[in-house]
Amino acid sequence: MAFAPQTDWRAGIERQLTRTREFVDEADQAALVVVLTSMGSLLTAFIGFLFASAWTAVPLGVFLITTGYGWVRYQSLIARAVTFAMTTVTLITLGLIVIFIIAESIPVFQYETVSVFGVSVPGLGMFAQTRWDAVTSPVRYSLVPMIHGTVMVTVIATLVAAPLGVAVALFIAEIAPPKVRELVKPGIEVLAGIPSIVYGFIGFTVINPWASKEFALNGGSTYLFVGMVVGLMALPTVVSVAEDALTSVPDVMKNGSLALGATDWQSMTSITLPAAFSGVSAAVLLGVGRAIGETMAATVMLAGVPGISKPLSNVFYGYETLTSLIANGYGSAHGTHLSALFAAGVVLFVTVLCLSILSQYIEARMRRRLGGVE
Amino acid sequence: MSRATKTALVRGDSSMYEAAAAGAVGLSGVVFAVGLLALLDITAIETLVAGVELSVAFGALLLLIGISVVGFGVTSRIEYVETGAQPSAGFVAAAAFTGIWFAVGMILSGVVAPGIGVQIAAGAVFGGIGFGATAFPREDIGSTVPAGALAVLCGVVLTSGIVGPDWEQVLTGYNATLFGDTVVPGIVMFASLVTGWSAAKAYGGFGARGRNVGAYVLIYLVVLSILAVLLGLIAFVTVKGLPGLFNGFSLGGENLFSWPFLTNGAGLLADIGGVFPALMGTVWLVIGAVLFAVPTGVGAAIFLSEYAEQGRFTGLVEVATNGLWSTPSIVFGLFGAAFLIPRFGNEKSLLAGMLTLGFMLLPLVLITSREALLAVPDEYRDASAALGVSKWQTIRSVVLPAAIPGVTTGVILGVGRIAGETAPILLTMGGGVLPAKSAAPNVLGGFQFTTSPPFVSNPALLEATSALPYQLYALITAGLSGNIQNPQEYAWGLALTLLLVVLLFYAIGITTRYYFRQKLHQ
Repeated sequence: MAFAPQTDWRAGIERQLTRTREFVDEADQAALVVVLTSMGSLLTAFIGFLFASAWTAVPLGVFLITTGYGWVRYQSLIARAVTFAMTTVTLITLGLIVIFIIAESIPVFQYETVSVFGVSVPGLGMFAQTRWDAVTSPVRYSLVPMIHGTVMVTVIATLVAAPLGVAVALFIAEIAPPKVRELVKPGIEVLAGIPSIVYGFIGFTVINPWASKEFALNGGSTYLFVGMVVGLMALPTVVSVAEDALTSVPDVMKNGSLALGATDWQSMTSITLPAAFSGVSAAVLLGVGRAIGETMAATVMLAGVPGISKPLSNVFYGYETLTSLIANGYGSAHGTHLSALFAAGVVLFVTVLCLSILSQYIEARMRRRLGGVE
Repeated sequence: MSRATKTALVRGDSSMYEAAAAGAVGLSGVVFAVGLLALLDITAIETLVAGVELSVAFGALLLLIGISVVGFGVTSRIEYVETGAQPSAGFVAAAAFTGIWFAVGMILSGVVAPGIGVQIAAGAVFGGIGFGATAFPREDIGSTVPAGALAVLCGVVLTSGIVGPDWEQVLTGYNATLFGDTVVPGIVMFASLVTGWSAAKAYGGFGARGRNVGAYVLIYLVVLSILAVLLGLIAFVTVKGLPGLFNGFSLGGENLFSWPFLTNGAGLLADIGGVFPALMGTVWLVIGAVLFAVPTGVGAAIFLSEYAEQGRFTGLVEVATNGLWSTPSIVFGLFGAAFLIPRFGNEKSLLAGMLTLGFMLLPLVLITSREALLAVPDEYRDASAALGVSKWQTIRSVVLPAAIPGVTTGVILGVGRIAGETAPILLTMGGGVLPAKSAAPNVLGGFQFTTSPPFVSNPALLEATSALPYQLYALITAGLSGNIQNPQEYAWGLALTLLLVVLLFYAIGITTRYYFRQKLHQ
């Protein structure tokens, strides 16, 4: 569908135009005027807001008045127009996020330009060397130490969240008796609801001192325990998405296996899990996304000094992740330093968005395969 | 298949065997639980149990369990009891034991002759033996002997005191040290986990049924431990936070009750420091975010599920919505800081925080509302249309009322989620560490109308304001100190207040869902 031939595409527009023309011919002229005024003023208000105009309130007021009038006189038409405008808000928000955080990060990309064989590559300096120092000369903004920290935390978190999350999802979807399920499911939801700063606070006041004493560490900031806490926080995401995938496997498939005399576990491992495999891996991907983006626990529990642990796999010392870099630095940063924080945000955003799109693609493919035709 | 039925019938005479295996599972569970207590320093491994140190007692128990697990396998192999054992323990078990014994080999050789080459070689040898012992013999030997041998090895190490309370090992290069009181519980918990699984398989008589029992034991253990962590977390915060939360609380008096922690600000003027400004900040944040996100999200869901044809546009919106859902909260904070703050007077403000959280709430509301609308049966729409009711009337009077329960639940759970968010408001809303009561936002009384654009203004919305999660963060970064009597107690009270606010939303949301589901099934 996505790669339909161009002629189809043209025909589609053609059809759309005809339909619109018919619609305009049929609709009440007065109603059309009201709807157009309403939508036009909303657009004007948005543009005014975008350019930070003090006059934004005027078109906004016009929008409210015309929409209110239209709601009384031509409710169905205006409802359709307004709900359409609301639908575009998600697209606009995502677009604005992309534009604004990339725009803010341009200065650091220019600052960290490195020339390779005479070709200057903007931003390469953020990834090709490892020095982050925003104060003392030479001022360099390498994101490599923070990417290392994020990778360490995410790997540990995934090792916690993926197996445990899939086990809990199996339990809820397949094993638990209904009454137990009614208890465990809300329990997992509540686990998702515990604010990240509360996890961070417990980590800061309890886990860090404990780890410092228990392993005779120089300070309590460890990737190991931050990773475990973040894993616990990513777990509910894995559970709920994986559970959806497991329950979407048609019962006939499981029943067929059980009728052949297989045990529950055999049906799970040879029918349900393989059938839901892509959904379960999408769940793990989303969990990884959550772990990458988790901010407060890492900010509070880690030392907050950019650095790379020695040896690379040393989980007993924690320095900084991309998220904690932003949270720690935002208050005091200016100029290129601030722009570097936005660059860290761009790296986070792009990574997580790719994971999200990939997991959606995997899920859609699974739904097509299980449902035959969608 | 006939064999499974036959064994199930013959199994009557193996009740002793089953009882012994069940006993071994139970004992492994007890050892695991006590090991957990020791890891959390609730019991010390030096404690004397029946005249010996706990670590030695652990060792003796592991020896006992390990030997009995091997015994189960041998009893079944010599066909003293009839089980449904299959020709091999299977690929997963073989891979697991290869890994475990590889690690054992690495560690043992690391003690005797450190050196990466020697260690990998020893690990490969041990891993190979582990693989051979699991994969080649019949299942009853393959899934018990490697497990029992591991437990026996751990038992010997612990009873002989090679690893005990005084043991320590410096991890060269890592700048960290392993001590006995962490390693002993670790060894014990891991070994008991393996033996518990193996004994559970023996209890199920190996074969398909044994694997079923073994897997269930592990899964139940995972679920129980996660629930235990959850309850432990909540209980811990409650116990630590109650003194702060109820500091100066009294019933009776001129008002019905006085609750200074919730009604006071902090600072020099207040006798008992409280969190009133932050609490009000959170309340207004939630109200603002809901006012922005709920109409928008529900409206968009209506358009997507009722008006729009499934096509490129709806697909794009869906991808964008899911993308927004998984966008990290700190990125929303950056966006709010770059987009909203310059448009609201270049200062961190309550309004910027509200809208940022609103952007975060939007995808949650949209996804749940859309699910709720799609769950309304098409018969409702068709019946209404057949009566000649227009499309919009149908949506308004038939579809929306039917979808209200789902929408409400989704909104409440979404609100619970954003109420605890710190990262976005850290960048957009700010506020003081210990705000006085006068810093509480006065939104309702703050509206002002002017004759010059933008005509309406509200200073309360445009001020930096504190909120519960932000204040907790600010207290932590201030090193848990400040101009109050007992900062530690205050911070825990604050954490408990935040947790209670969030859990309240979750409790209401989950109860609403439960209530409507009950009503639906009546």
